[in-house]
Amino acid sequence: MAKSPTPIPAPPVKIHRGAPGSAPARQRRRRKKVNPFVLFLRGLARRLYFGIKTAFKFLLFVPVLVFMVAFSYNVDRSGLFQGALAPRRIVDLMLQGYDVTNFEQMDEREVVQLFAQDVPETPEAIGIGSSRVLQFNRENTGVESFFNMGVTGADVRDNMTSYYKMVTYGKAPKVLLWSIDPWVFYGSEAAFDARADADLYNEFLTKVLNVPTDYEEPDKVELWKALADPAYFQGNVDYYIKNRGQATVTDDEGNTIEFNPVEGDPYNQTTSIKRSDGSVLYDVAFRNQTEDQIRTLAAEACMSFNSVHMEGFDELSQTQIQAFDSFVRYAQSQGTTVILVLSPWHPYLYGYLLTEPENHKGFFQVENWLRQYCADNNVPIYGSYDPACIEGLQETDFFDGLHCGGTGIARFFPGIPQALSDLQNGTLANPLDVHPRTSLEDPNAQPAEGETPDGEVTQQEG
Amino acid sequence: MTITWEQVLAFLCEDQTMAITSLLFLAFFAAVALINYALPRVLRPYFLLAASYGFFCYDPVNRPLVWVIAAATVLTWLCGLIIGKVRAKPVRVLALAASVGFGIGILVYYKYWNLLADTVGGSILSHRENLLAPLGLSYFTFAAMSYTIDVYKRRCRVETNLLHYALFVSFFPTLINGPIERYPQMRPQIQKSRRFSYGRCAGGAFRMLWGYTKKMVLADNLSHYVSLVYGDVGSMSGPNLVAATVLFAVQLYMDFSGCCDIALGAARILGYDLIENFQSPFEARTFNDFWRRWHISMTSWFRDYVYFSLGGSRCAPWRHYLNIVIVFVCSGLWHGADWRYLAWGLFTGLLAAFGVMTARARQRINRYNPLYRMGWFKVFWQCLFTNALFCLTLVFFASAIYNTDPFAVYGSLLQGWDGLTGSWAQVSNLIYSSGIDGRLPVVLLFGCFVVFAAEHKGRSVARWIRQQVWPLRWTLYYGMAAAILFFAAFGQSAFIYQQY
Repeated sequence: MAKSPTPIPAPPVKIHRGAPGSAPARQRRRRKKVNPFVLFLRGLARRLYFGIKTAFKFLLFVPVLVFMVAFSYNVDRSGLFQGALAPRRIVDLMLQGYDVTNFEQMDEREVVQLFAQDVPETPEAIGIGSSRVLQFNRENTGVESFFNMGVTGADVRDNMTSYYKMVTYGKAPKVLLWSIDPWVFYGSEAAFDARADADLYNEFLTKVLNVPTDYEEPDKVELWKALADPAYFQGNVDYYIKNRGQATVTDDEGNTIEFNPVEGDPYNQTTSIKRSDGSVLYDVAFRNQTEDQIRTLAAEACMSFNSVHMEGFDELSQTQIQAFDSFVRYAQSQGTTVILVLSPWHPYLYGYLLTEPENHKGFFQVENWLRQYCADNNVPIYGSYDPACIEGLQETDFFDGLHCGGTGIARFFPGIPQALSDLQNGTLANPLDVHPRTSLEDPNAQPAEGETPDGEVTQQEG
Repeated sequence: MTITWEQVLAFLCEDQTMAITSLLFLAFFAAVALINYALPRVLRPYFLLAASYGFFCYDPVNRPLVWVIAAATVLTWLCGLIIGKVRAKPVRVLALAASVGFGIGILVYYKYWNLLADTVGGSILSHRENLLAPLGLSYFTFAAMSYTIDVYKRRCRVETNLLHYALFVSFFPTLINGPIERYPQMRPQIQKSRRFSYGRCAGGAFRMLWGYTKKMVLADNLSHYVSLVYGDVGSMSGPNLVAATVLFAVQLYMDFSGCCDIALGAARILGYDLIENFQSPFEARTFNDFWRRWHISMTSWFRDYVYFSLGGSRCAPWRHYLNIVIVFVCSGLWHGADWRYLAWGLFTGLLAAFGVMTARARQRINRYNPLYRMGWFKVFWQCLFTNALFCLTLVFFASAIYNTDPFAVYGSLLQGWDGLTGSWAQVSNLIYSSGIDGRLPVVLLFGCFVVFAAEHKGRSVARWIRQQVWPLRWTLYYGMAAAILFFAAFGQSAFIYQQY
């Protein structure tokens, strides 16, 4: 076949305007294969970056939570952290320097615990004991920062835990003035007061004295839950707004808390008041009784003497003696000087006890044992259970059979500075020089230890 | 003081139920979100599925009922598979019927069995004590049914991955209050999980906070007054009943939309966009418009699967009106086995049908209304009238919730009025005595104003907040946190719509 002069037309080419076909197809770039390890690291870095960024933003909300917790902790309308509202009010007033009304209605143990928690500066000296120590105050101790932590009906547990509380808050005082009550050495349940904080005492025994008890670390999750509970926070806000700037404070249920600063002359009050130093000032009528009235009260106390923590007290408990010794050593190890005080009983009452020594065997052993202990361990001891051992002590120095007033204290206690000075100078009186009576004089009997042959007892000078 | 992890867990888990407003839920959600983003994207749906079942089973009451949600999932998935793969129409119809029948069957069983038993009686229909519906029954059955219907109607492709589908049915943020999801919307999100986006998460977290504020600060506090009035309707005066009904509408909105905000925010954090359930309903100017903005996922469900199936508006007028009424009656039944819900549905349906019936006539009349020449007045009046109608229907709804006689409420609405001052005194005194005192009334008023202003014209607060400058943003964050801390009503965690 002859070759055609014209070439065969090429097939029509469809023109795609603007379509990918109009331009030569670009080579698709193949994705570079990334090392899986690099991919993993990239993913990890991305997650970390965004994780940290998100966490940081959430952290910016933390101040809201901190505010909630701090507010709930400080206002604490239910007293979960700061103690009940009424004791808190009392302590607040005392720390502001006020004497507080309505002593009889106070929960003294709660007040003492809250004081230990809230007092901003460690007192130089504290007093512990039962109501028989409550007349020790800043004047007769001679210490400006003295605080009386005694509580009515205190047993050995109250005594020890009051001091222990101060230590746990890092506020161990320099001086511990301990008015020893005889039942401190009685090991029976009868010696214990139901109001004492048994759990705290067990904690003290277990943690400090290493005495095994059934103490268990309390479950504080409930408290923690309250702090994290917005409903509790709202309750605290309501309470705070309601009571802010109010003269009378109400409790959680809206009842008025009747503890207020003493108005007028504290020595002329019709009810007993708690002084700002923790001591108690009885009402004016109780303080100004006649000798006969006081003796009547002392006579009334004769029959119920043993019922005050000493029912069946025939001998000193070895356990309590050990506890006492351990406690004194513990206090000394905390840098505290222990000064013991024996507050006297009314002469009429003591005289009565002497008539039935068989019923008070344990009681009559306490003082002599203590004196021996103090002599052996160079512990200052002042006063005596036996009023006859205190020179110049009058019946009018008492409020009743059990409680010796400030004038009586002044007759046997020279004040803490003097006691410390005597201790330092080695001029303390020998404890064994005082011989309290433990039975009625028997002309046929040999003179008891401490008694002079003519029947007179050696008296202690103030 | 040392606090152990065991104690923290014990603290978090002391409640038997994981209420959405509880610390436990927040801890659970935080852990799920953290793990979700730590996992490779392909594994995330499976983890979320496990988390959803964990959420469902946390409540001991729900544990024995887990088979219901599992069965609903498997059965509807199988039916969907048959419908999608088989071409023979009878088989497809049968599969659809099985799927819808099962969904409606379990709904009827758990919600209406005792009502039917009490009404009909007999040896078969005996009353069953302790017949408790599983969590989110109304929501997950409707979601599952919508899938098979969509597959049947070729609006949705068949899902071959059972676990992906199971996540759609049981996705835990939607289990409590919805919204009722549709699979075409969820499918791409499940199949390809989103990468972590800080902006999305921040928006989602804000939306959750927004929801908590609406629920715990506004709704729960308003409920004090509403429950006081509706709890003792007999001794309440007209002003209080009117005020309580209006406040119930606000409470219901804050409660329900608040929970939806929490669900949407939570889902957003996990990388999922859910259906918006509300679009400024109180700004609606007609009654029908209102129902296009309120509980959108449910109303659109009924619209798509009931109303359109019945012929919608493309039929004779009387049939159109009947269709509207039927849809609202179904909606009433969906809420529970109580004649008051049924009455509410009927009443609402009749009002909606009447609105459609008179729409043209009203438009003609409106042209001659001189007051309507003022645009703002027209808008105000129409909104007011629409909301008043809504409140009027809500009396049935509130009566069902507080178990009171709706007709007693209607009968007392106009009684006891004592002038403007006297009536206001009655209302304000009762509001104060209900516990809404101190600064709370101001907070509630201001809070409602802020919510309505922020959600004006259906604005998405999650997106809106991301567009604001940081001082405003953080002021709002702290403001809401403080509002919850100071004013939220704690311990009232149940949502109204949780029971449906």
